[in-house]
Amino acid sequence: MARLEKLENGRQPADTVSLQTVGSQLDEESSLGSDSEVNGFPSSRETDKYGFIGGAQKYSAESAQDVPPEVLRQREVKWLDMLSNWDKWISKRFKKVRLRCQKGIPPSLRGRAWLYLSGGKVKKERNGEKFKELDSMEGDPKWMDVIERDLHRQFPFHEMFVSRGGHGQQDLLRVLKAYTLYRPEEGYCQAQAPIAAVLLMHMPAEDAFWGLVQICEKYLPGYYSAGLEAIQLDGEILNALLKRVCPIAYKHLDKHKIEPILYMTEWFMCAFSRTLPWASVLRVWDMFLCDGVKIIFRVGLVLLKSMLGTREKLKACPGQYETMELLRALEPKYMQEAYLVQQVLELPISVRNVEREHRVQLKRWRKTHGELRYKAAPRMHGARIIMDAEPHTRQDLRQKLPWHSDIWSSKADGKLVD
Amino acid sequence: MAKQYDVLFRLLLLGDSGVGKTCLLCRFTDNEFHPSHISTIGVDFKMKTLEIDGIKVRIQIWDTAGQERYQTITKQYYRRAQGIFLVYDITSERSFQHIMKWASDVDEYAPDKVQKILVGNKSDEEQKRQVATAQGNKLAKAYGMDFFETSAFTNHNITESFTRLAELVLQANKKDLDVLRVSINDKLNLAALEEEEGVCDSSSDAQKTCWC
Repeated sequence: MARLEKLENGRQPADTVSLQTVGSQLDEESSLGSDSEVNGFPSSRETDKYGFIGGAQKYSAESAQDVPPEVLRQREVKWLDMLSNWDKWISKRFKKVRLRCQKGIPPSLRGRAWLYLSGGKVKKERNGEKFKELDSMEGDPKWMDVIERDLHRQFPFHEMFVSRGGHGQQDLLRVLKAYTLYRPEEGYCQAQAPIAAVLLMHMPAEDAFWGLVQICEKYLPGYYSAGLEAIQLDGEILNALLKRVCPIAYKHLDKHKIEPILYMTEWFMCAFSRTLPWASVLRVWDMFLCDGVKIIFRVGLVLLKSMLGTREKLKACPGQYETMELLRALEPKYMQEAYLVQQVLELPISVRNVEREHRVQLKRWRKTHGELRYKAAPRMHGARIIMDAEPHTRQDLRQKLPWHSDIWSSKADGKLVD
Repeated sequence: MAKQYDVLFRLLLLGDSGVGKTCLLCRFTDNEFHPSHISTIGVDFKMKTLEIDGIKVRIQIWDTAGQERYQTITKQYYRRAQGIFLVYDITSERSFQHIMKWASDVDEYAPDKVQKILVGNKSDEEQKRQVATAQGNKLAKAYGMDFFETSAFTNHNITESFTRLAELVLQANKKDLDVLRVSINDKLNLAALEEEEGVCDSSSDAQKTCWC
């Protein structure tokens, strides 16, 4: 399965290469005097089915829910059909698409599905050579400096990113650099690196770039912009929703003055990619790219509710420190794939709830902080709304052949580009 | 129940992205160094208990994201700190130049009484050094701060620098400490600022004293 995934996503089967790079990194480090146990690498150096060689997010049978091969095969057939008639499925049978995202996208098609769901596919085809152009440009040294210092600090236990200067880190640099050139006024924010890295685990650099563009501009607009107002506002929204969903947890956090920004910044800015076991990350992203930010809110609420939802649990964390410790060390059973997905689906928090609370909190923000300094475009809640906002035809989803792309992009100038 | 600590306070690590704040902290609290670690997004923290002059000091150390963009978030926590590490990387001239900016932000947002020390990290990377020890010393002197060159990698000066800042915080709050010595059964919670009412009253009883 893992192999199929790699082939489908247009990456060469890199198992042998990556194992070598893992080995060479270990050698390099041992020459520096540190030992592999300390670095957290398992002595076997085996990768799990997601490409992790160690770390907290590595696959374990308890954290994941395995799908029988025959079920997976059926799902693949269904997804292949959806992907080849994408515009129709999204406009006419979106509920079915959503249901299938909730069940989990087959690993072999996940990269393509994410790119289609996010609208990155259409963006890519409409913008022809844009990525190539950005990719060949010099980056602004101001951003390159920060990006380069972050390259080895993203999923260091994943085979793609484990070796310094390896292909994963190189692609990460290309994608992040391209974004700073695409949106020079935005530049680079550190939390964009894990987002881009997750995408790169599933698709080539150009696709990952357009996926990143969509996440930054449609799903989580303003999250990565100077001032970080949007994430702080979402912290307040999360808090207000928690008050409704789980008053006991809300009261406890309020009493100990644990502001949302203290525990939810990394959760939300990285879309839980650093928090959950990998099987859960993938399922959350399947739903998130289909239905938008409400999924992120729901995951946050489920975790808070699970960890702090009863008096009994609160007894174990009577003060601020204990509570924060607890939220930093979430119990694995609450992050387990089947449990988490089930809870997320059952939690009655709708787009309308999020939007309503957004308006309330924005009003409060304006009173206390004044007008927002950064005016982000309105948030788009998922694949359907993104497509409605930028309707596309089947033509837009078709891969442009290289010799057509010039003609196509010159025709499209000014009309379709971005 | 035996008392786990006598005094509780909070330290903050500040400095440019990539200077090694998280590694300093891991070395101090867990005596570990991880070449493979992730960038800090937002704020994180760790705890450690030290014993200084027979007083059990519980310190909570806050680790912050270094990128300028995160400062709107991290600045909100300056006022909660009793001690601050200003960290630069001896192999990065720029991170050293930025110390001035970090220091002026601290002046603006942290409590007046806050204690600061200057830390030049990565002292093991002598061949890549861009900031001379003398430069660090000079800057620290200009600001009236203590100065340490450290290496989280080789464990050089780690305990020393953390202990020093903890001592400075204790000294700066000596008056309250004497109260503590008299009524040794009380816990002193320096970090109580936000747990109490934001503003603190110096005439409050020892248990609720906050040193800010």
